[in-house]
Amino acid sequence: MSASPILLADSVTKRFGNNQVLTRVSLPVMERDVVCIVGPSGSGKTTLLRCFALLEAPSEGRIVMQGVPIATAAPDRQVKSAARAVRSDIGMVFQHFNLWPHMSVLENLIEAPMLVKKMPKDEAVAIAESLLKKVDLSDKRDAYPTRLSGGQQQRVAIARALAMSPKVLLFDEATSALDPELRREVLLVMRQLAQEGMTMLVVTHEMGFARHVGTRTVFMDRGEIVEEAPGAAFFDAPKTERAQRFLQQFEDE
Amino acid sequence: MFKYQFRWDTVWGSFDFLMGGLEMTLIISAITLVLAMIGGLIIALLDMSRFRVLRWIGVSIGEIVRNTPILVQLLWVYYVLPIVFGIRIEALVALIIGLALYQAAFISEVYRSGIQGVPKGHREAAQVLGLTPIQSFRRIVLPQAIRMTLPPLASNFVQLIKFSSLGAVISVSEITRRGMELSATNFRPLETFTFIAVVYFFICWPLAMGIRFWERRLQAR
Repeated sequence: MSASPILLADSVTKRFGNNQVLTRVSLPVMERDVVCIVGPSGSGKTTLLRCFALLEAPSEGRIVMQGVPIATAAPDRQVKSAARAVRSDIGMVFQHFNLWPHMSVLENLIEAPMLVKKMPKDEAVAIAESLLKKVDLSDKRDAYPTRLSGGQQQRVAIARALAMSPKVLLFDEATSALDPELRREVLLVMRQLAQEGMTMLVVTHEMGFARHVGTRTVFMDRGEIVEEAPGAAFFDAPKTERAQRFLQQFEDE
Repeated sequence: MFKYQFRWDTVWGSFDFLMGGLEMTLIISAITLVLAMIGGLIIALLDMSRFRVLRWIGVSIGEIVRNTPILVQLLWVYYVLPIVFGIRIEALVALIIGLALYQAAFISEVYRSGIQGVPKGHREAAQVLGLTPIQSFRRIVLPQAIRMTLPPLASNFVQLIKFSSLGAVISVSEITRRGMELSATNFRPLETFTFIAVVYFFICWPLAMGIRFWERRLQAR
């Protein structure tokens, strides 16, 4: 690889007590990459994503952003301040949306830019409105999250993450909590972001998205990366037996 | 009983005297609620402290207060504290201290469940967006926690109005005490205490109904 990765998991191991969830996982994410992480539940996908999001600290190894370590097992002052500096460059979309229910849609969107970036309110509102237009929810500007459908909530959550103009956007099973008919609207937004060149790391069970939108597919099982292939290649010709067995479940779809 | 000659005029004759007592009751309850809210916050912070000693203190206060009768606590504050510290405490002050401590122990639980009732994901979303822990607590956790704790706090106020009648035992001149004094002179306990019970009811009942309505509306949101 000629260019250096924008985000990198460098031999990350994660233990919760005696339970080892990740074992020396290394994963570089290049700019404009759409990396889809697939695998059976309990394979460590979400934990890996949470390490990238700096929500979990690795037990061993490090997370590196543009050459600078931002998470290690025992972060020193330098690592901590680097983490603070890039904090809002890594956005995340959660399985359960996690919108703040006491704030309107617009307030959800302008909160972080105003508080973290010290952005003036009218500028933050202008950005929020253009993002709501992008996710096709301009009319829900003043609604409260509980009044929205799951698909609408997730699109608001995506807009909220985009409001901080992150360099990388992480998706943690963003459509898993949604009814099938609501998934499409969220997947369409995600596809549009990918086409616009957003760097994305997507933990998903949506094999169609991984095949058609992802630039790379990473297959994880039992805390390890078992197989990695560009785009559709993983689905057409899985090399390992574990991956073949995993993909069989989706054959009917 | 059925031949009983009601003499409500004995109550009406002392209406101002009793209403003065009611005023006292409401003032005591309001002051105590404010103190209990502050005390409850302190106990809750002790409970959730990072330091084991502070946690231990918070938990101990809570457990002791919640598991001894309020009347015994009042008697203890009124009679024992002066012996131990050699100071005279006025009955009114003793009542307010005793009630405030008692309610604080319950209110601390209200706060704690309010704070812990905010889903972890809401804080994680704030963290990922770059909010500091203090910003996240102030803007995301606290507003939601307060919304959840307001109805229980209002219920505590209703409870305080009723509990403040215990002040009668240590001769605080609130409405129940005045009723006792009145019935000792007019020999009309039936009219006197019935009237007092009705007064309590028509203050506490609408409040309780209002709170129930309020809670239902919050849940609907």
